[in-house]
Amino acid sequence: MQRSHLDRRALLAAAGLAGVTVLSTRAHGSVTLSPALATQGEGRTLVLLQLSGGNDGLDTVVPFGDDAYRRARPTLGLKKSEVLALDDYRGLHGALKQVRKHYDAGRVALIEGVGYPEPIRSHFRSYDVWHTADIRGRDAGDGWVGRLCDAAFKDEQNPNLVVHIGGNVPYALHSTSHPPASFVNPRAYRWAGGEAETEAYEQAGGMQPERDEKKPKKRAGESSLDFLRRVLADGQSSSEQVRRAVAAYRTPIEYPTNDALAQSLADVAALVNGGIGSRVISVEMGGFDTHTDERTRHDQLMRTLDAALGPFLDDLGRSAAGRNTLVLMFSEFGRRVAENGARGTDHGVAGPMFAFGHGLKGGLYGKHPSLEKLDDGDLVHTTDFRSVYATAIQRCFGVKPEKVLSAKYPLLAFA
Amino acid sequence: MLNTPFLLVALSLALPAQTQAPQAEPELAEAAPGFERIWNARNVEHLYNRAGFGARPAEVEYALRQRPAAFVKQLLEGFAPTSDPLFIDIPAMPERREFEERGEFEKAQNRFRAEERRVLTSFAGWWFDQMVEAKHPLQERMVLFWHGYFTSSTRDVKRTAAMVAQNELFRRHALGNFSELVHAIVRDPAMLEYLDNNENRKDRPNENLARELMELFTLGEGNYTEVDIKEGARALTGWRTTDDKTGSYFQPRNHDDGAKTILGKTARFDADGFVDLLLAQPACPRWVARKLITHFEGVEPDEARLAEYASFLVDKRWELKPFFTKLFLDPRFYRDEVRAERISSPVEYLVGATRRLGITVPPQILWLGAGQLGQRLFDPPSVKGWEGGEAWITTSTLLSRGNMAGMLIGVVKLEDVLREDPLEVEPEGEMMGGDMMGGDSMSDSAAKDARKAGRRKVDLGAEMSGLQRMTNEMYFPRINLTARMQRAKIAGDMQIVDTLADELLPVPLSEPSRAALLTFLRTERSVLALEDGRLLSAGVKSEEILRRLAHLILSLPEAQLG
Repeated sequence: MQRSHLDRRALLAAAGLAGVTVLSTRAHGSVTLSPALATQGEGRTLVLLQLSGGNDGLDTVVPFGDDAYRRARPTLGLKKSEVLALDDYRGLHGALKQVRKHYDAGRVALIEGVGYPEPIRSHFRSYDVWHTADIRGRDAGDGWVGRLCDAAFKDEQNPNLVVHIGGNVPYALHSTSHPPASFVNPRAYRWAGGEAETEAYEQAGGMQPERDEKKPKKRAGESSLDFLRRVLADGQSSSEQVRRAVAAYRTPIEYPTNDALAQSLADVAALVNGGIGSRVISVEMGGFDTHTDERTRHDQLMRTLDAALGPFLDDLGRSAAGRNTLVLMFSEFGRRVAENGARGTDHGVAGPMFAFGHGLKGGLYGKHPSLEKLDDGDLVHTTDFRSVYATAIQRCFGVKPEKVLSAKYPLLAFA
Repeated sequence: MLNTPFLLVALSLALPAQTQAPQAEPELAEAAPGFERIWNARNVEHLYNRAGFGARPAEVEYALRQRPAAFVKQLLEGFAPTSDPLFIDIPAMPERREFEERGEFEKAQNRFRAEERRVLTSFAGWWFDQMVEAKHPLQERMVLFWHGYFTSSTRDVKRTAAMVAQNELFRRHALGNFSELVHAIVRDPAMLEYLDNNENRKDRPNENLARELMELFTLGEGNYTEVDIKEGARALTGWRTTDDKTGSYFQPRNHDDGAKTILGKTARFDADGFVDLLLAQPACPRWVARKLITHFEGVEPDEARLAEYASFLVDKRWELKPFFTKLFLDPRFYRDEVRAERISSPVEYLVGATRRLGITVPPQILWLGAGQLGQRLFDPPSVKGWEGGEAWITTSTLLSRGNMAGMLIGVVKLEDVLREDPLEVEPEGEMMGGDMMGGDSMSDSAAKDARKAGRRKVDLGAEMSGLQRMTNEMYFPRINLTARMQRAKIAGDMQIVDTLADELLPVPLSEPSRAALLTFLRTERSVLALEDGRLLSAGVKSEEILRRLAHLILSLPEAQLG
């Protein structure tokens, strides 16, 4: 038994090495990166940050220079002195100080007016559109990340390829061929049993021949029992890899200790640097459905977001794997232009999307939607969110975006 | 209540009048000659696994004393009278005009949603109770099956009463007549809402219901054209829900009563005419038979068998009881390929484990737990329902199944799962990621302390938090495995492993797993310095070891089958 345990460790180490291909962080501080990497897209990690509930885009990137904004938001509107002006039209919400710092350093691409035609104002159904990149939502099939994996990692079956940190796995990651590993906390990604049970459990899962060959589906002729044993062995090694990566990660960067998003992003940094082959990592922050009393609530949300993103982006800058990471931040919709009668805003449509990363070209992209030419009180989107996806698909994974998104969308120049 | 007067309405009264399906007497089919020879414990347990939610040892013994045909008839009729339906409180939706202030309206809406959620939770708990009690296990199996077949979800149907009514519909027709069920589903309020038939109007047809009716409910892809969908949608126009979505009605002025050409037939089809046309297609019995056999056997039927069962369905005019009688008395239902292959859904896994352990669990724990494992009742992931089979199993869900079982047995606390990782206490940085480029290195212990200190605010998600609260406050496993072993006069390691595995597993224990369990038991016994055969003499320590063994058994690959 002990021997099989050791064998497994050895295999793990091998898998860890194989999983990172070009970007092994094991080498001691001397990995030379091909300069082409950052542009060619091989070996990049994509991080998806979902702001759930419908983030108020107009209170995130504030068009303070627009009279129509002040008219529509008599009590909620931010004044010039309350924003971090990017030019004389728009500025970041005043709490986004660290984001501003990274913006000035060229690490933030701000894509304005992102949405899709025939927008849906239901949280769930609009998520589904974002998650499947298809107006039909779940009827269209797997999530877009699942389809991306089919295109980019057809035969590769690393259980940690796609990871979600949080309670509910977003449908974007839904895939039968490349199911995500998911956990609310990497430390909780394990089978909970005492030492002796764990040994026996590993014995029960680990007596498979051909342990190194990982395929997603049941192989032809494979019995369900063998399939389950194989997934069990994968799960045991995958959970150990994740936990080791997190336990071993050292950073001088201080993340806020009392905030779930910041802690999740610290774990993301550990996984990005962990060399365990995670290529898409998803996290979520909730609370953006600000129908009432938005001022207080949204200010707090922006502070929390800034406090988590600031150190995370600093942290990513410390390693090649981190610098090769692209972060996309999105929300299922923006909010209506005019405030409602409860000092809040109701479900709207288009909003800004953010891309963060050390390897991208920062600045403004897309076009700020007009606050005067509205569609029934809502902004009209100027950039389809699938253009942003397409850009990430092409640049991070070197896959033709049409293979993942059913149509062609113009790429953006940020990555 | 202040602004939410509750309408207390017995659910059946809130439903549109339904013609009760005349339940045909199942034929007293006799098993084929020689069937008695395969009527053994293994096959009886297999039948319980598939036609119900697993068996306790006494139930297997009971079935073995019956003639196969007589037992199957009991399965179809239920073992005992089922519980009365849950009396459902239907909270009234707050109306904006009743509220002067917007904020007050929103508060009322929030109260309404919370109340709706509470009612749904109660009903889900009631449903889980029915599954665990298993007075009529096949009926509960079929309610679950239809829920994944004629899907609707609370995500879109934002009305608990409609979801409950749909469940009641499935319960009434669970083992009834498929034709009647399809006729009922095209006027079911939850279905009309879920597939947008309120928007399907004469002047502006919406194809959603027509499409799924053909693609998923009756024919399957490839057996109709886009034109058939468009024409079929016209036939369904006019059926809509009441404003509060708890009922449905036909609105003639929104119905397109012109001629439609569907699947080569031209007539002034209405909803029932359209459904009858679909049921008359040769593809329909094949579709339904394939779905049923695949669900119950875990593997697709071959062509000959499919043809046989499809024509049988037609012969029996869509009655389901004869179909199941035939299936459960079919020796092919008991072949090796079928018995070992089916992966249990999370609901089947948790209900089965609860039954086999013989414990009482607050049903909401099972509901939330199944949700965590990927099967949120009343919220199937898409109109196609749950994918099932190996799609249930990922590295995360497989480990979590074991953790849930450990929680039911009382040896795992959710806090334990979230607590400090043993790996973190003794970092082994030799493997990966220990040395970041460009990073000035903080001393290991300082970094560890810094991270540990902050590491505690974890967002568990609503489901997990609920589960944690519930297990902490409401749950104490009433289980005494020592007594169970002693009663059976079991003492030695091998006997204990074999007996407990036999009781807790839906399928036989494999040799590698047996070896692992024995290793565990021997190790633990030697820690207590007890001879083989004396393990049960250590009181609380014995029980703890048995429970950990049970946790291990329910975490095995074998425990996921059934």
